[in-house]
Amino acid sequence: MKMDLLQISNLSKSFHEHSVLRDISFKVGRGEVVAVIGPSGSGKTTLLRCATMLERADGGSISMGGVVFLQNGVYADRKIIREARSKCGMVFQAFNLFPHMSVLENIIDAPVHVAGVSRQEAEKKAMELLAKMELVDYASSYPCELSGGQQQRVAIARALALNPEILFFDEPTSALDPELTKGVLRVIRSLADENMTMVIVTHEMDFAAMVADRIVFMADGIIVEEGRAEQVVNHPVNERTKAFIAGLKGGF
Amino acid sequence: MKKGLIYSIVTGIVIVAAVFCFWWKFCRDSGENDAGRTFTIGFDANFPPYGYMEENGEYCGFDIDLAREVARRNGWKLVLKPINWDAKDVELNSGMIDCIWNGFTIDGREHAYTWSDPYVANQQVVLVPVDSPIFTLRDLHGKTVAVQTDTPVQKALSKDGKRYEQLGSRLKGLIITPDYPTAVMMMEAGSVDAVAMDEGVAAEQMRNAPGKFRVLAETVMPEYYGIGFRKGDVELRDAVQRTLLEMVADGTAQEISARYFDGENRMILGTVELDIQEDADNAGVDVLNVAVQLLKGLKVSVMIFFLTLLFALPLGMLVSWGRMSGSIVVSGIFKAYISIMRGTPLMLQLLVWYFGPFYLFGIQLSRLEFLGIDYRFIAVIIGFSLNYAAYFAEIYRGGIESISRGQYEAADVLGYTRVQTFFRIILPQVVKRILPPVTNEVITLVKDTSLAFSLSVLEMFTIARQIGSASSTMIPFVVAGVFYYVFNFIVAWSMALIEKKLNYYR
Repeated sequence: MKMDLLQISNLSKSFHEHSVLRDISFKVGRGEVVAVIGPSGSGKTTLLRCATMLERADGGSISMGGVVFLQNGVYADRKIIREARSKCGMVFQAFNLFPHMSVLENIIDAPVHVAGVSRQEAEKKAMELLAKMELVDYASSYPCELSGGQQQRVAIARALALNPEILFFDEPTSALDPELTKGVLRVIRSLADENMTMVIVTHEMDFAAMVADRIVFMADGIIVEEGRAEQVVNHPVNERTKAFIAGLKGGF
Repeated sequence: MKKGLIYSIVTGIVIVAAVFCFWWKFCRDSGENDAGRTFTIGFDANFPPYGYMEENGEYCGFDIDLAREVARRNGWKLVLKPINWDAKDVELNSGMIDCIWNGFTIDGREHAYTWSDPYVANQQVVLVPVDSPIFTLRDLHGKTVAVQTDTPVQKALSKDGKRYEQLGSRLKGLIITPDYPTAVMMMEAGSVDAVAMDEGVAAEQMRNAPGKFRVLAETVMPEYYGIGFRKGDVELRDAVQRTLLEMVADGTAQEISARYFDGENRMILGTVELDIQEDADNAGVDVLNVAVQLLKGLKVSVMIFFLTLLFALPLGMLVSWGRMSGSIVVSGIFKAYISIMRGTPLMLQLLVWYFGPFYLFGIQLSRLEFLGIDYRFIAVIIGFSLNYAAYFAEIYRGGIESISRGQYEAADVLGYTRVQTFFRIILPQVVKRILPPVTNEVITLVKDTSLAFSLSVLEMFTIARQIGSASSTMIPFVVAGVFYYVFNFIVAWSMALIEKKLNYYR
């Protein structure tokens, strides 16, 4: 049996009185690409932030690559959390590149100072990643000199440089002009072709249908519907899913 | 756009000029219309028993009461104007005051004023703590003596002074304080061994704190007090002197004297003929010589500047962390610290750091000498560093809080520790953002170094004041101004250079 890389069960989270995630259970297998869709406020970003430990969940369990860092609402100690964290990478909506570092430095800083990789090795790997991102010429540029799409690709390279087993994307193209999203989506697709495990929160329905193996539709903090991508997009079962997808397709 | 700017600047200047004209006219009118003539005397409000402030807030003293009676008899309106002793010549020559009347010694400054006849004979005496081992002037050799700035005794004990050879040169140190109370406080706190001062002031000190001090039997030098009028204002001088002689004749002057000198008559007007001599070598100032002397002070100013930055910049970071602490107690403590440091005058804080150990804990300040560095200077550095740390802390906090959450989150997911996140990701960005406000503070610091004078540290401005008051010219102040400007120009230029260097990203 193929082991699930990410296992979330009965996850709950509320901000003050407002409950954002209610009893979410969710699995991602190795090599699988899962797209999470849903209206804003449905909890999809919070789900991602709980999985990457940017947000503390109130209850439930999460295991990442076999490391259980949250069990029945209780977090494991710091060492285990670090281990779990080393298995995942995150790409943010706002890129969050370090503005004072060049593109190359952005990519090698964590491998060198966090993972303890030699500078030479880190640079070699970084250049390979930049080649894949079609950004070799920009190694010594600073983030402010790049377009949004280029910055997002650097952010992907930065996340990949630490060899994560699973990569999370939080609306990676929402902050981009439409013509700049293509390059980013192309990169994500090529990662999918290499069997990279990915969880992508996105509004790009066509892209989700094309790149994702599975689509999860969330609303009001619960998973309303999930299934094979093609099936959820073209033949949704739940009424809310139907309305949501129809709304996206109808444009306005 | 550009035209609009010029118009508004011109309009602004016109408005300011108009307001100034009205103010000037108003003030002059009100001055002249009020009950005939006014008689404005300039005095040092810290000079008991000749002129000082009583506990009820009224000015009084021997000189003040004499002046009051003189004004009354002439039908003048008396205006009492406490002056900065360093600025007395400017006050007099610009017409802000009519005379300097406050234990003003006729000595070496004859060329600058039209003098009255001497009215008080005075001795410069030495005040020591009652349990001091000092009994003669000889005992002062190797000891530290405090004097007030720009007084005859300061001049006499300083280089080229009348008493330099026999006494001044044999002292361990001559500390020049802004005023008498500071000098006496320093002696109480054990940082100086004795204070040389007018005998009248010394008597007042002993009366106020019986059993605490005594005066040496030997005196430093005799002197006479007179009233200094504007050079050439013989008419006013004669009018005042005439009235004073009447007061001596009818006993009023003696009465006033008895009030302030334990029944004793100190009034000697009309009994002493003083052979007034021009003090030639005091008359001009050589700019080059002034510059050389000021450079010595500049060295001290620069030292205060760099040492303050050295301590205050990192200390500010600690304070800023404390201020941002999650614990309400910790952040409350640092909030209070910042509030006090920014809410009270730096000069007051310097006095607290200097005199605090003695008045709060009874520690003799001379014991606080560290590695041969006078505690005076150490207190200045402590005071400046703690004060500036508070300002820097708030600038740091502003900078740190302006960094977006996304930077922390990105670092978090990449596995950086909190310390790594701060030093590798946050701090480099904060430095760039806070550079302009830090530059502001640093430039203010350059000018604030002059506050070290309140603890008698001989930095540049102190020396400028001393030369200026001794020679009755503004040249030392102009030269000091130029030095401060050049100092600040270099500072601003260096900061701009750093800013430019950090401009490789937005």
